[in-house]
Amino acid sequence: MELNGEQLIAAPIPEVWKGLNDIDVLAKSIPGCEEISRIAPEEIHAKVMFKIGPVRARFAGKLLLSDIVPDQSCSMAFEGSGGAAGFAKGKSRVELKPSEGGTLVCYTTEASIGGKLGQIGGRLISASAKKIADDFFQRFAAELGGEILPLEGSPVKE
Amino acid sequence: MKAAAFDYVKPESLTEALGLLAEAGEDARLIAGGQTLLATLNMRLSEPSILIDITNLSELKGIKLDGKCLRIGALVTHTEIEDSDLIAKHAPLLKAAVPHIAHRAIRNLGTWGGSLAYGDPAAEWPACSLTLDATMIIHGPSGERKVAAKDFFIDLYTTSLASDDILVATEIPVSDGAQVFCFQELARRHGDYAVAGLAAVAQKQGDVLTQCKFTFFSVGATPVMAFKAQALIDGKKLNEQLISDAVKVARAEIETIADLTNSAEAKQHLVGVLLERALKQMIA
Repeated sequence: MELNGEQLIAAPIPEVWKGLNDIDVLAKSIPGCEEISRIAPEEIHAKVMFKIGPVRARFAGKLLLSDIVPDQSCSMAFEGSGGAAGFAKGKSRVELKPSEGGTLVCYTTEASIGGKLGQIGGRLISASAKKIADDFFQRFAAELGGEILPLEGSPVKE
Repeated sequence: MKAAAFDYVKPESLTEALGLLAEAGEDARLIAGGQTLLATLNMRLSEPSILIDITNLSELKGIKLDGKCLRIGALVTHTEIEDSDLIAKHAPLLKAAVPHIAHRAIRNLGTWGGSLAYGDPAAEWPACSLTLDATMIIHGPSGERKVAAKDFFIDLYTTSLASDDILVATEIPVSDGAQVFCFQELARRHGDYAVAGLAAVAQKQGDVLTQCKFTFFSVGATPVMAFKAQALIDGKKLNEQLISDAVKVARAEIETIADLTNSAEAKQHLVGVLLERALKQMIA
């Protein structure tokens, strides 16, 4: 599955960058985040309650950051396991660009989902991923005291 | 697989059920027909600590004609809708939609309210309730409230029901003699979830349609109405040109999301195919 999108957040680039690197801000922004900790400067561990439709599964996962260019971009690799429900892993690239009225956050993500979650949830995985991304940015913008500015719809592709 | 251990209670009244639900909070799930819930429990995709069986609650049962409204209880099964004379007469769109819901064995157990509360974007009842301008009757800790279908389906699997609410029934304005309707669904096999579907009604006078409602489902995160296409068709003489314009408008306005086997573009194409078929059927 691919999930690509752009979000315009009404806050300057350094603030958005700082927010994306602040695990307290992330903890409040990630929907269902129960625990988050920075193990090393480039490694973050988290526990997330994934709650969408029929699925309520707790995922334990880790995030590895790389190619970090402050105030510009970074790459991350992630993997998570939800026990009997299944697993997810993938990689994502995030870029921040200056834009009128704030910061444009562009992201491209490739993920694969396996186990029961992949079999049963497959039909709506794209829609679920988009919902989670939208929820995240809404909370994130609120944490920064800004808001999400409307943009053209973000395309989701298999 | 087998479900993880859970407690089970079967309250006898709505008040008792609401009390149990408020007490157990997020860990409880309501069970009625169980056609979706039990599968996810057995797959261990969710592990609620308690199931509250609401099938004894008489307030949630039956189909009644109440003046200009048809009241469908949340516990009414798909089969009851299929076999109901009241539905056939006053909400014929629902009767046309029923055969598309899975198979008879599932329809014998699955419920109207269960399908609405679950809010699957590919399901038939959420789309029909939008098209028919239905009103959801919801009971929660602070009493009864009514929510229009258009405000009920918020996002993927997300409705305006809170975790301590119970959907009791739905009210649907009865159709009159001038109502025409069409229910179309494209699926790979009978009983599968739709790749794309359309629930449409309108008032017909000669070759003019008014008060058009076109709801597409299984194309986005919720069922979606084609407001621009509705406005375009409304009150005009329906001919080939108008149909082809409406198809273009609907394809442009409905934002589609891909699923595992069908691209967003394919769904966008099908939106037009469905609308064209429906308009031709409704005007014939």
